Amino acid sequence: MGSLHLPMGSADRPGAGVYPFLVAIFLIALSVRLLIRSLKGKEAQEEREEPFPQGKDLRRVVFLGLALTLFAILLRPLGYGIGSAVLMGATLRLLGMPSWKKIILISIVSAAISYYLFVYVLDVPLPRGILFS
Amino acid sequence: MSWMFPSPGASFSLDMDSLQGLAYGFGVALGGANLLACLLGVFVGTLVGVLPGIGPIGAMALLIPSTFALGPTTALIMLAGIYYGSMYGGSTTSILVNVPGEAASVVTTIDGYQMARKGRAGAALAVSAVGSFVAGTLGIVALMLFAPPLAQVALKFGPPEYFALTLVGLIFLSQLGGGSAVKSFLMVGFGLMLSAVGMEPISGLPRFTFGQLQLAQGVELVPVAMGLYGIGEVLIIAERITGIPQMIRVKFRELFPTTEEWKRAFPPMIRGGVLGFFMGLIPGPAAILSTFTAYALEKRISRHPEEFGRGAIEGVAGPESANNSATAGAMVPLLALGVPFAPATAMLLGALIIHGVQPGPLLMSQKPEIFWGIVASMYIGNLMLLILNLPLVGVFASILNLPQPLLLGLILLLCLVGTFSVNNSLLDIYILIGMGGAGYILRKLRFDLAPVILALVLGPMLEKTLRQSLFLARGDIRVIVTRPITAFLLLMGLAVIILRPLLQWSKRFREK
Repeated sequence: MGSLHLPMGSADRPGAGVYPFLVAIFLIALSVRLLIRSLKGKEAQEEREEPFPQGKDLRRVVFLGLALTLFAILLRPLGYGIGSAVLMGATLRLLGMPSWKKIILISIVSAAISYYLFVYVLDVPLPRGILFS
Repeated sequence: MSWMFPSPGASFSLDMDSLQGLAYGFGVALGGANLLACLLGVFVGTLVGVLPGIGPIGAMALLIPSTFALGPTTALIMLAGIYYGSMYGGSTTSILVNVPGEAASVVTTIDGYQMARKGRAGAALAVSAVGSFVAGTLGIVALMLFAPPLAQVALKFGPPEYFALTLVGLIFLSQLGGGSAVKSFLMVGFGLMLSAVGMEPISGLPRFTFGQLQLAQGVELVPVAMGLYGIGEVLIIAERITGIPQMIRVKFRELFPTTEEWKRAFPPMIRGGVLGFFMGLIPGPAAILSTFTAYALEKRISRHPEEFGRGAIEGVAGPESANNSATAGAMVPLLALGVPFAPATAMLLGALIIHGVQPGPLLMSQKPEIFWGIVASMYIGNLMLLILNLPLVGVFASILNLPQPLLLGLILLLCLVGTFSVNNSLLDIYILIGMGGAGYILRKLRFDLAPVILALVLGPMLEKTLRQSLFLARGDIRVIVTRPITAFLLLMGLAVIILRPLLQWSKRFREK
């Protein structure tokens, strides 16, 4: 839609908006076609779409997504060290590792090793956050 | 070696034959860092081939940032190593655990796992490694012979030809990937839209940046690829996580197939190798398609088709050979034309561009060290893989004994840090996570993700060549259809669009 605000230019000197505009038309046409197909219920049937998970399975996927987002939000203020340990812990817990002792141990060890590897060996300037600044 | 080529002029490739080029390439590929890069590449390739949840595309995206400090040749040698290396690793888990480590090894589970259950796991592993080597080498020879003449032809291509080629490539990819044509086209459009974000190539006008300064640079390939393929896949696995898979153990002395097995496996290797290479040339998920075709071929011409599905060694040898030579075939359009037709070679193109190398038909003559270096490194890499895979297959397979939550957690961390390291940008991390969620949902709804990656990489080229064509023809859109090569290419594209529904329709008709 935004492409309409861009200059179109003329046919021999096409402007910035022409190409996105063409792509947008293409997309809209396809979406309409797909919408019609799925309203008829054809799409789900023929393509063997997988049903979305329910209950516990759904919770696992959603929480993992939330953990990732939380990591991104907290990366600057808390730093990579704490962030990665928390993310690792959350992943292990969510994916069914039973023992809390193990989870905490593995999270801290993997955070420490990966921090060392990325910052000192590969020179990635990760945010250090409150722990190491 | 630079004294051999005082001026990197265009005349170079005309008067040098492939043997000389290859000798030069070996000089490049054997040079210190490149040899190490090749080893690292094939090692990582085997590793991600074994690991379900991360494939060659995710791994290449992960390692592109770490190649910034290296030269373009070294970087490409390493990334290409991941691509063909993953084809070796993928078969291991297919055979031992009945879980394909890689989409191109799905077919191998059919007969490979059955062989393992009959106690012939070692033979299946050895045959697939040797087959991969034979076909891989065959494919490289063909690559070496096909690519230079193709590049010569492509030198005559102007913007309209490139526009048609790119467009038809996208059409082929979305039509041959299987699944719904409408959905695949939608994914092409999605990728093209992503590629339109950022500074517009001719006037520098920012588009779709929503006022974000960082978005003016455009959407990076790495977070998109890693989100769709890395995070998306982890979320899928998280949904139906089950304990540690049961693995069939192999003893080293069991690795040797019997003479009878060799005899039965050898012809499929050659057939798979030839078939795979030519399938690799066609735009589409070449490696994956080639395995299905090779399997069908072996089953059809076999004198005992009833054994297929119950541990026929041909059913392992054919597909496992085909997927390797397909990777070599897929390199042809990338290196000769500068146009990738498969998601993995799109990643290689992305890497070339990041390293400031102009891909295209001039690559071979202007940067011979890149072309011949990669070709020679592929010979070396295949040999390394053979050595790496036969004795060490148990070591690689034992990675699967690690608890799966830990593996998935590590993959998540790698994706996050890998993305961050490209630009040190938090925005990229949000793109990564968003694409991860999108990848999960799209996968569930059976959308093919390969077109997104390819369209994102090819989008700028498509727009640039279209606008150049229009400019050259003074606004006459007919330039795209009237030139002979473009007309031919577009007709092929049209034929694919029209023929596919017709074939499906007639199939449905016959079934009734």
